[in-house]
Amino acid sequence: MTQKPTLTDEAPAVRSAPKPPRPPRRLGVRQVLTALRTFVRSQPLGAAALLLICFFVFVAVFAPLVAPYDPVQQFRRDILEPPSGTYLFGTDDLGRDVLSRTIYGAQTSLLIGVVTTGVSLVLGTAIGVVSGYFGRALDVVVQRVMDSVQAIPGIVLLLFIAVILGPSVRNTIIALTVVITPSFNRIARAETLRVRQEPYVEAARATGAHAPRILALHVLPNLLASVLTLGSLIFAGVIIAESALSFLGIGAPPPTPSWGLMLSEGVRYVERAPWLIIVPSIALSIAVFSFNLLGDALRDHLDPRLQRRALDRVTGLWWGRRMLSRLAPSLSRAADKN
Amino acid sequence: MIGYALRRLGFGAVVMFLVTVFVFMIMRLVPGDAVSLQLQDTGVSKAEADAMRAEFGLDDPVWVQLWTWLGDAVQGDLGTSFYSGESVVDLFLARIPVTVQLGLMAMMLGAVLGLVVGVVAAATRGSMVDGAMRLFAVAFLSVPNFVVALLVLTGLAIWFAWSPPIVYTGPAEDFTSWAQQIAIPVIALGTGGMASVARLTRSSMLESLGSDYIRTVRAKGVRERVVIAKHALRNSTIAVLTLLGLELATVLGGTVIIERMFSLPGTGQLIYQAVLDRDYPVVVACTIFYAGLFVITIILIDLLYALVDPRIRSGKALS
Repeated sequence: MTQKPTLTDEAPAVRSAPKPPRPPRRLGVRQVLTALRTFVRSQPLGAAALLLICFFVFVAVFAPLVAPYDPVQQFRRDILEPPSGTYLFGTDDLGRDVLSRTIYGAQTSLLIGVVTTGVSLVLGTAIGVVSGYFGRALDVVVQRVMDSVQAIPGIVLLLFIAVILGPSVRNTIIALTVVITPSFNRIARAETLRVRQEPYVEAARATGAHAPRILALHVLPNLLASVLTLGSLIFAGVIIAESALSFLGIGAPPPTPSWGLMLSEGVRYVERAPWLIIVPSIALSIAVFSFNLLGDALRDHLDPRLQRRALDRVTGLWWGRRMLSRLAPSLSRAADKN
Repeated sequence: MIGYALRRLGFGAVVMFLVTVFVFMIMRLVPGDAVSLQLQDTGVSKAEADAMRAEFGLDDPVWVQLWTWLGDAVQGDLGTSFYSGESVVDLFLARIPVTVQLGLMAMMLGAVLGLVVGVVAAATRGSMVDGAMRLFAVAFLSVPNFVVALLVLTGLAIWFAWSPPIVYTGPAEDFTSWAQQIAIPVIALGTGGMASVARLTRSSMLESLGSDYIRTVRAKGVRERVVIAKHALRNSTIAVLTLLGLELATVLGGTVIIERMFSLPGTGQLIYQAVLDRDYPVVVACTIFYAGLFVITIILIDLLYALVDPRIRSGKALS
């Protein structure tokens, strides 16, 4: 009974065949690898940034193995030595190896960056999602508090908290977390407001799903992209802020190897020993650059332009703001107040 | 429109009040106040220290201090500095000109350069020029302003053995010295703004260049230069103005570190020293001033948007 199938018979049947219900997505090694591959293909610059970040993390984690010397050991005979075979990037005014200090500085930056970004990402997202999903009085109160934290320029608030708590790595983390959490809150809340009105959330609510289930299964996965993108850009900001604080002398206390501290110590020897400024500057800039680049690439990759356009048409004001929040998240802090 | 403006203003007032409460709370909740910091090495008896606290009103409960402060602030009295004994308003007024000069020049530099770069990149989209400019923009966003300042300083010191004068002089007294001193800070603060303005200009120019009305203009036979300069650019100005408004906060924040580096006597320097000294009245006034400036900018931007887009006024577009 085999009949030669004609195009008209077969093709639509194949194309429109109902897909079998997809098994729940599991996040295995393979999925991650596939996601990574598509990302690398569509965003070569982002892939390069990722590579740089891997390098940065590697150097920071294995600092004791990579660094030629102890970062706080003072070679009293070799003070302000220019770069040479013994000291690849020279030594500072106390005879410490600049390369080793730079490498350990990556450790400090990474530690502060990971902890701060991680904590404020979780905290800010939780606050934003809950506040956006439940709305009403809770939302109003929470958002006004967040607004007021954001209304104080970041560096002033940082200065304030860091000085009051005293200079240490832990207190730098606390200060930065306070400053950054509202940014995550804002983006998470805005996305929650959007997702909340989607038909699938309504459907879930109609089937009687409880709020925690809806939040975990339907809301959170849908705002992950925005939050992660912001996370990458914020990470860059945290690295800058950390070095700014230690540059001002209220971040990590000396002898801690920190890029900002190295810069502030090097200022006095600008003419005699420019490598004291140049080496940490380059390290700092490259680290920030790669996180910014990654954030940029993630944004383009995870949020195709088409979707954004459709969204913009619905919400008038959103456009300029959204653009801003993408380009300069720290600048567009007070958006979405209602 | 008026209703909308009033609502925005009300929102601003609420935020400002919360900022004040917030500042008071953090300052009073942590250990170590101005008096104990000031007297820690002098061996003054506890009774005398308490007397000093009473004089400054530090022994009152937090809410009493907050209430007193608010009452005075409304009457234009922001208190007196614990250290110099000068009125905070005077301290502030003496230092504002430097910061305003610095901030305005940096923002102008950033806006002009950023617009040029952004427009050129958009006009040559996809070309090498565009690519290079985009990469430059991200790169400039990534070098913190104090690092830019340091690198410029280092370069000038190595190649020209030149460094800016250390003591600040006003532009009226000695213009050359002033210009030499303020040039590097302006460049350092301006580059970050330049990068973000360039990127925003580029993307919003591309958006408008792809739209229907630009096609119509082109079809009319208008020269490409005019299309870009007159029709497309004009449509992007609002977005850029918004960004510049928000940029103000960054520039002001940046002045704290830059003013300290170059020992410019501006408000940034004032707040830094006040925080270190726990000079409460000055810290409170500075923080609230900065926050107020920011909130006002935001409200102005909101009103600007509302003026342009009637949907926002009715509150329907926001949700």
